[in-house]
Amino acid sequence: MNEVAEMTAPVAEPASGRNAPACDAAVTRKEPKVLVCDGNEAAAWGVVLSRPDMVAVYPITPQSSLAEYVAQFVADGVLDAELVEAEGEHSVLSVLHGAALAGARTYTASCGQGLAFMFEPYFRTPNLRLPIVMSIVNRDGITPQCVWGGQQDAMTVREVGWVQLFCETVQEVLDTIVMAYRIAEDRSVMLPVNVNHDGNYLSNGIVRIELPDQAEVDDFLGTPDVNWHAALDPDRPMGVDPLTGGATGPGPALFVGYRRGHCEGMQNALRVIVEVHEEWARRFGRRYAPLVEEYRLDGADHALVTIGSMAGAAKDAVDAARERGERVGLIRIKTLRPFPVDAMVAALDKVQAVGVVDRAVSYGWNSGPVHQETLAALQYCRHRIPCLSLIGGLAGADLTQAHFERAIAETAKLFDGPCPRTPVWLNAEDR
Amino acid sequence: MEQFDYVVLGASHAGLEALRAIRAHDADGSIAVLDREARLPVSPTVLPYVVSGKCAEDRIALRERSWFDAQRVDYRQQAAAAALDAARSRLRLADGREIGYGKLLLATGAAPALPPIEGLSDVRFHVLRTLADALALRDAANEVASEAGRSAGRAVVLGAGLVGMHAAENLVRAGARVTIVEMRGQVLPGYFDATAAARIEAVFRDKGVEVLTGRRVKQVARRGEDCTVLLDGGDAREAELLLVAAGVRPEVSYLSGSGVAVERGIVVDEFMRTAAANVWAAGDVVQTPSFFGDGTPAGGILPDAVEQGRTAGMSMAGDPALRPYPGGVSLNTYGFFGRRALSVGRDAPAQAGPEWDVLVRDGEGAEGYLKLVLREGRLQGIFGVDVLFDPGIMWELILRRVEIDARRQALLENPQDTARALMSGLWR
Amino acid sequence: MSATPTIAFDATRCDGCGECMSACASAKSTDGSSAQSRIRIVRDEESGSWGIAQCRQCGDPRCASVCPAAALAKGDDGIVAWDAERCVNCLICTAGCTFGGIAFSPAEGHVVKCDQCSDQHAGAPQCVSACARGALRYVTAANVYNRWGELEDLFVPGLGGCQGCNTELIMRHTLRRVGPNTVLATPPGCIPGMGSVGYNGMLGCKVPVFHPLLTNTASMLTGIRRQHKRKGRNVTALALAGDGGAGDVGFQSLSGAAERGEQILFVCVDNEGYMNTGAQRSGSTTYGAWTATTPIGDSARGKAQDAKNLPLLMMWHGCEYVATASTAFMEDFYAKLEAALEASERGFAYLHLYSPCTSGWRFPSASNIEVARTAVETNFAVLWEYRREQGLTLSRDIDDPLPVTDYLKLLGKFRHLDAAQIAHIERHVAEQAQVLRELAAMQPCEGRQVVGRQSDLMAVDLDQ
Ligand SMILES: Cc1cc2nc3c(=O)[nH]c(=O)nc-3n(C[C@H](O)[C@H](O)[C@H](O)COP(=O)(O)OP(=O)(O)OC[C@H]3O[C@@H](n4cnc5c(N)ncnc54)[C@H](O)[C@@H]3O)c2cc1C
Ligand code: SF4
Ligand code: SF4
Repeated sequence: MNEVAEMTAPVAEPASGRNAPACDAAVTRKEPKVLVCDGNEAAAWGVVLSRPDMVAVYPITPQSSLAEYVAQFVADGVLDAELVEAEGEHSVLSVLHGAALAGARTYTASCGQGLAFMFEPYFRTPNLRLPIVMSIVNRDGITPQCVWGGQQDAMTVREVGWVQLFCETVQEVLDTIVMAYRIAEDRSVMLPVNVNHDGNYLSNGIVRIELPDQAEVDDFLGTPDVNWHAALDPDRPMGVDPLTGGATGPGPALFVGYRRGHCEGMQNALRVIVEVHEEWARRFGRRYAPLVEEYRLDGADHALVTIGSMAGAAKDAVDAARERGERVGLIRIKTLRPFPVDAMVAALDKVQAVGVVDRAVSYGWNSGPVHQETLAALQYCRHRIPCLSLIGGLAGADLTQAHFERAIAETAKLFDGPCPRTPVWLNAEDR
Repeated sequence: MEQFDYVVLGASHAGLEALRAIRAHDADGSIAVLDREARLPVSPTVLPYVVSGKCAEDRIALRERSWFDAQRVDYRQQAAAAALDAARSRLRLADGREIGYGKLLLATGAAPALPPIEGLSDVRFHVLRTLADALALRDAANEVASEAGRSAGRAVVLGAGLVGMHAAENLVRAGARVTIVEMRGQVLPGYFDATAAARIEAVFRDKGVEVLTGRRVKQVARRGEDCTVLLDGGDAREAELLLVAAGVRPEVSYLSGSGVAVERGIVVDEFMRTAAANVWAAGDVVQTPSFFGDGTPAGGILPDAVEQGRTAGMSMAGDPALRPYPGGVSLNTYGFFGRRALSVGRDAPAQAGPEWDVLVRDGEGAEGYLKLVLREGRLQGIFGVDVLFDPGIMWELILRRVEIDARRQALLENPQDTARALMSGLWR
Repeated sequence: MSATPTIAFDATRCDGCGECMSACASAKSTDGSSAQSRIRIVRDEESGSWGIAQCRQCGDPRCASVCPAAALAKGDDGIVAWDAERCVNCLICTAGCTFGGIAFSPAEGHVVKCDQCSDQHAGAPQCVSACARGALRYVTAANVYNRWGELEDLFVPGLGGCQGCNTELIMRHTLRRVGPNTVLATPPGCIPGMGSVGYNGMLGCKVPVFHPLLTNTASMLTGIRRQHKRKGRNVTALALAGDGGAGDVGFQSLSGAAERGEQILFVCVDNEGYMNTGAQRSGSTTYGAWTATTPIGDSARGKAQDAKNLPLLMMWHGCEYVATASTAFMEDFYAKLEAALEASERGFAYLHLYSPCTSGWRFPSASNIEVARTAVETNFAVLWEYRREQGLTLSRDIDDPLPVTDYLKLLGKFRHLDAAQIAHIERHVAEQAQVLRELAAMQPCEGRQVVGRQSDLMAVDLDQ
């Protein structure tokens, strides 16, 4: 009798157990290669550096150029990977399921409707505990018909069980894709990771970036070992995903085991994300706040909460307000899933009011999704502080410094009166 | 104590067929086959050919040891049953050992029946059931025949059944002068109708055999190495060789007190189960019910032993394809002096009602004799001398109670092709 | 016990010409007379049909069981052989045989029987080749069964299928041939329903097996096959999928993988509906058929549309190999499985198996194979084969089918059909057959051999 895939709870082991201790990055780091590119190309370079075995793609705006870059890299021999040009996103992710169960390190990218179409295999991915890395080049949802940026896609699937990281800059996109493999494949995590970068802002914004050294990255990532827990391999025959559950018998407890193991993997990811970012900083010299970034919170009495690329303009607005003497700071969420409750509570505890800027809508609460997350985190804070919802940047709309200055002003108003239960629609008056 | 899932007692036709049926359904159960003989299984039916010298004694084994090995069956020779304790599912052997069984088949066949004739126990006589019997008879026949410088001796055969007739032929061929004494009014009683029997008898007479039917032996008396056979009419025959072939009795000596009911043989139901739990019986050892449900002879023949063995084996192994044993149908393929007589089924009773039909073709010489017996348009029996047909097909037509009325004339004219065509259609 | 070749007789084709007997006599007789033939063709005047008496080479020969001299035995070649040395001429064997397969030959002075010419023409019984009307066929299907029998059974014994379902047959036999170096995908449906992927930690297969989604079987197999291949391993990527998972909701991924030429062996077990979930309609359901979602009522008489022809759709993808098969024609199925497996090393191979559903189609569980056979013999399910190089080939003659009603009347799901509906189905069956006939007559490209011929692997039904 063959074994049945063991997918309940990968044993937790410290990430450092697998990797050589960090060397002094400053001393050993080679002179980095520099290039000027947009976020999609940067993501593609991140893929090249991570050396996946298989990449499956299907084009969709604003992800298409990323798919094209990867295809070109494969065609040019820059990337030695199987490229599957599947007939749709549903198959894209399904191909990767098969590949990962056969032992492949895998990558894909999608967004918006593509993600929606992919949903069936998408929500199965983390339950299979497959460490697939997937970029979401965030795009707003139809209808109305639109092809532009917005985070409605990623926000809508945030309860499915993927790790979700949101990048602020093009360089962070590249770096985070590489880090994502370390996080995903960590034995105590074994979960798929979405690396989000905003459509338009990041996907098409061209900047100068540094390309880490391949050998360094190879050393950082180690050899992939992605199907030790569940494999489709005649050398290790097993049944993957047998029928499980039912009202009585061993089913209910087995099912709980899978679910609880998944939750534990998510919690382990919080620690691993921090460790991996730390190691990245040591090895490659670039440091990002892994979970929650605190920007100028010292001495602040109120703050904006942001996610993704909008933080750039928001930080400018904060800087300007500080210049004016306003005691404002900024909290940027990098890791939305698993939700970094402790880090968020620590940041929130430093201020007396927050305004949360979302690029997506939570219809059920008449606010934004990150606003909801913030409200939930506030339950663990020392004081109950007012928390305003602001929604902007939908369907490619610009969020400029002016918009954030207004956001800061609206947040400051919370000191003078009750907190409104309705969101501030930042682009409502744009012309 | 050794223990087996299945124990088969007697490694002859019934036992071997049961074995096959058990293994066909139960690949794993442990099986032991016990036989009292110290040699590989030999069919009693082949013994006349051992006597005649046609068969070398080392080329008649029904199965080689390798066959038992391949079936993963523990085959033991010189393992004669002495007593059965059905309540405790144990069999005691003649050497005192005990063997436990889950299920037991009794297939110990029959032994020659000895008629209550005065003086029989005092004289040297032969029977024919085992290989040892056959070898002894073969040697005796040669002695009777081939003593140089004197005319052939006389052999007397008691009983004109198949055994007796076969032996008589062999003795004639060996050169002996032969007398057959048969109590009933014809040779081969119960197998062939009177007309067929008369034809057969005529052939024997032609060969110089003295056939005394309707006669009894009153007494036998020792005369030196030989004996005198005194007949009921008062006349006597001097016999250098006496063969008693007066029927058989079931081999049940080990069953007393076992709880297995025995009448003319072991009493069994239609799945060959005996009165004792987990004990089956098949072959010559059982009292075979007649397929026709009347007093017509049944059992005591090889094909029946095989059918019963198969039924028992399937029943023992729990084979779902098991069908009840339909009852015995008399069936004989008898070759004599290069000619052939075939019989299947029963003859019409003496007082046959209108539902009976008897059709006869009684040509002269090579034409052959054929008799068809029908009841309500269904075949009951078919008897032929020098007419060929397929007994197996006729048997099947009887068992299936196939309506043949419309084909009766065709059957009489060409029984082989007519029955084949009919059967071929039935198989489709 | 192993199965062995046999000679099958079709009374409806026999005209009693006697050529077989002459052929046998010239091969076997000592005096050249037909009387010595070991095959007898005999006429039953009552029924007006011809019958046969010839040894069937029984698996469990009664002639041998009753022989007191051990002169008859079934050999490894399947022939029940007679040993002249041992025979004592007692004729008891003729009482054991109910086929007239062994009989006394006055000319030869002993019993004789057919040995399928194993002495001089092994594998080519002379009677069969002499029969111009095809009434005699040499059925060698048993050879395939024996070969298959020696292959490892990769399913656990006793699966939880419905009684009489032929899917277990398909699963076991397919897996035996494909072997352990396989990854098996069984999308939701009857096949995993039978326990192949297991339940709560128990497992039904000896090969790696999984539930894909109903929708993504071919895609998951793409990833599996490609990754193993990338690592230098030739792992067979096998799907055993229902018609819904193949042709309806799963069709996109199937089509995509076929178009990309992925090296997959995709077996569609077509029971014409969603039978595992209670017999609902699918795109493969026949026009007029009752299903749980095409019920019979005052204004509805079963499914209102024809089934789509999934195998033909697959053929137009230009797959490496596409074929239809039936469990009533196992030899043909085996040959196609063999071809499909081989083709799947080069590209996409698609095998479409007609799988009558005892519970969903409403027929007695004992008649599955009969239903399957009738479907083929009425042209309801035509057996054909497509190879990229050769185009489409018919696997058996479709010019003289049984009436479609012979098939319809076997199934409860058609019980309500009115005359117009029956006519509709008959028309559709005839049209489909015509399309296939014409495809078979086409030459796929210039200069190649004619392909519109009947394949050599003429299917043989085993139950005759
Ligand atoms: C001379 C002769 C000619 C015959 N000709 C024909 C014929 O032409 N056609 C026909 O149909 N029938 C014929 N028969 C009858 C036929 O042989 C029997 O019907 C048949 O052999 C019965 O088979 P069986 O297995 O029941 O018993 P048997 O063949 O008698 O076998 C019984 C077996 O049990 C063994 N055994 C007995 N007692 C014990 C014990 N206590 N412990 C262990 N083992 C034991 C014996 O050694 C033997 O091997 C003939 C019989 C004889 C004697
Ligand atoms: S002779 Fe008759 S019983 Fe023997 S194998 Fe042939 S068909 Fe079967
Ligand atoms: S005739 Fe020959 S083959 Fe037939 S049963 Fe007798 S001994 Fe056996």
